[in-house]
Amino acid sequence: MLILQQLVNGLMLGSVYVMVAVAFTLTIGMLNFLNFTIPALFMVAAMITWAATAAGFHWLVAAAFGMIVAILASLVIERFTYRYMKAKYGDATEHALPLVSSLGFLIIFEHVVIMIWGTDPMTFNSPFAHAKFEISGIIFGIPQLISLALSIILVFGLSLLLKKTQLGRALRSIAEKPDTATLMGVDVGKIVPVVFVMTGFLCALAGILFTVNYQHVSPYIGDHVATNAIAGMVIGGLGNIWGAIAGGLLIGMVEVLSIHFWGADIIKVPVWSLMLIILVFRPAGLFGHTQIGKGKF
Amino acid sequence: MSNVLNLTSVEKSFGGLKVIDNVSFNVKKGSRTALIGPNGAGKTTIFNLLSGIYEVDSGNISLDNNDITQIPARKRINIGMSRSFQNIRLMPHLSTIENVMLGQHHLANSARENFFPLGLIKTNKWAKLAEQSLIEAGLDTYPGQVVSELPYGVQKRIEVVRALVSNPKLLLLDEPAAGLNSTETKELQILLEKASSSGTTLLVVEHDMNFVRNLCQHVVVLNFGRKIFEGTPDEVSRDPQVLEAYLGGNDNNAS
Repeated sequence: MLILQQLVNGLMLGSVYVMVAVAFTLTIGMLNFLNFTIPALFMVAAMITWAATAAGFHWLVAAAFGMIVAILASLVIERFTYRYMKAKYGDATEHALPLVSSLGFLIIFEHVVIMIWGTDPMTFNSPFAHAKFEISGIIFGIPQLISLALSIILVFGLSLLLKKTQLGRALRSIAEKPDTATLMGVDVGKIVPVVFVMTGFLCALAGILFTVNYQHVSPYIGDHVATNAIAGMVIGGLGNIWGAIAGGLLIGMVEVLSIHFWGADIIKVPVWSLMLIILVFRPAGLFGHTQIGKGKF
Repeated sequence: MSNVLNLTSVEKSFGGLKVIDNVSFNVKKGSRTALIGPNGAGKTTIFNLLSGIYEVDSGNISLDNNDITQIPARKRINIGMSRSFQNIRLMPHLSTIENVMLGQHHLANSARENFFPLGLIKTNKWAKLAEQSLIEAGLDTYPGQVVSELPYGVQKRIEVVRALVSNPKLLLLDEPAAGLNSTETKELQILLEKASSSGTTLLVVEHDMNFVRNLCQHVVVLNFGRKIFEGTPDEVSRDPQVLEAYLGGNDNNAS
C-alpha cells in the first residue's frame, strides 16, 4: 500500500517536471536553444508568490504577480540572449552563445533573489494544506491532483495549438526553416517571443504549483526541478511534447521510489543513470524527436 | 500592356566581386518571361534581390509601378510576389497540405485565424482552398503525407502550388523543371499555363530550353551579371552573343 502511495506521489511530483520539461522542449524544438534560465523563471515565480502572500496579498493575486514577473523575465531573455545574438551573428542557434548567456541570466536572477531575501528556505503557508481525500488508504492531495490535471490539459492544448492552428504551423515552420518561413510572410520577430511567453507561463505555473504543493521555497528550488526536467525531456525525446509528459512523470516516479527504497541522499543517481542508460539504447529518447523541429542541442 | 515588374540599373556586389552589373529589364503584366544564362550568370542572385533576401547596392525594383526596393523580405509576399526555389525549400516535417497552407499564411493572419483550429474543421475555407489547389495540380493523392517522404518531382510541384496559393501577381520560379522527368515536366507546364491564364505573371529561371520555348514568350539572357540579350525564344537561339556565352568564344575553344 505504501508503494502505491509513493507511486501516486511520484505522479504528482512528475506533473511539475512535465511543465518544466515542456518549456525546455519548446525552446529546443523551435529555436534549437537550451534555455538555461528556465530554473530561474520557475524560482522567481515561486519566490514572488511567497513574498506577496507574506506581504498580505491574497494567494491568487500573489500567484498572478509571480506569473507576470516570470513572463517578463522570459521576454528579457528573448531580447538579450536569443534576439541579440541572432541580430548580431546570424543564426544564433548555431552558436553556444545564447546557451552561455542564458546561464549568465540564471545566476544573476538567482543572486538578485538572494540579495533581497537571503538563501534560507522559507515556509509557504498554503491555503490548501489540508485539502486532501483518501481512497482505500491512499491519500490524494487536491492541489497535487489539480497540478497533474493542469499539466495534462496544458500539454494537450499546446499540442493542439501546434498541430492544428495557423500560429502552430507558423511556429513549426520557423523550427524547420526560419528563412523560408520569412519569405512566406511569417513574422519571425513577432512569433519567437510567443515561444518565450509560453516558456515563462509554463515555468511560472510549475513554480507556483510546486510551492503550493510542497509548502516551501528557496532561491535554489529551480535547480533541482529543472535538472530533473531536463532528464525527463531527454528521456522522452528532445522537441517532443508528449515525450516530455512521459519523461517528466517517469522521473517523478523514479525519484519518489528511490527515496522510498534507498533514502533521500541518492535521488540524483538513479534519475541520471536512467537517463544515461536510455541515451545509450535510444539516443533519440523514448519517443524520438520529430514532433517539432530538429530537436538537437 | 503595362509592366508588372521593372528593374532599373540594379547592381549587387559581394566583397569586391560585382555579381549583378547594371541590369535593367521589364516584365509585362500577364506575360511568361524566362531568365536564362550560363551557370554563375547571376540568375538566382536576381531572384534573391527580387524576393528581398539580398538588398540591392544601387538601382530600383518596382512592382506595379511602386518602388519595393526597401520593402523587407517577409512583406513582399503581401504585395503580390511569391517564389519557388532551385533546391526545394518545403518544410520537410510538415504534411503536403500544411506546406500549401503555409503559402496562405499572410492571407489568414488575423488573431482569430491564428488560433482557429483549422485542422479540426474540414469545411474551413483555407483548408478547402488548399485542397482545391492540390487537386488542380494533380497532387491530391498526398495531402496528409509528410513531404520529406515524397518523390523529388512531387515535392518540386508542391512548392509551386505553395507559391500559387498566396495569390501572387508575379510568380518567381527558380529552375522549376530541374530534376523532373518528361511526364512531370509536362504536368508542371500545364499547371503553370493554368496559373498564367488566370492572370498570374510568370518569371522563370530555367536551363531546359525546350521547357522555356514551350512556356515563355519572352526571354532575358544574363552572362557574368550583365544582360546580354532580350527577345523571343527564337531570336535568342539565333543570337551569336548568346551562343557564344553558352558555348564559349572562339579563343576559348582554341585548345
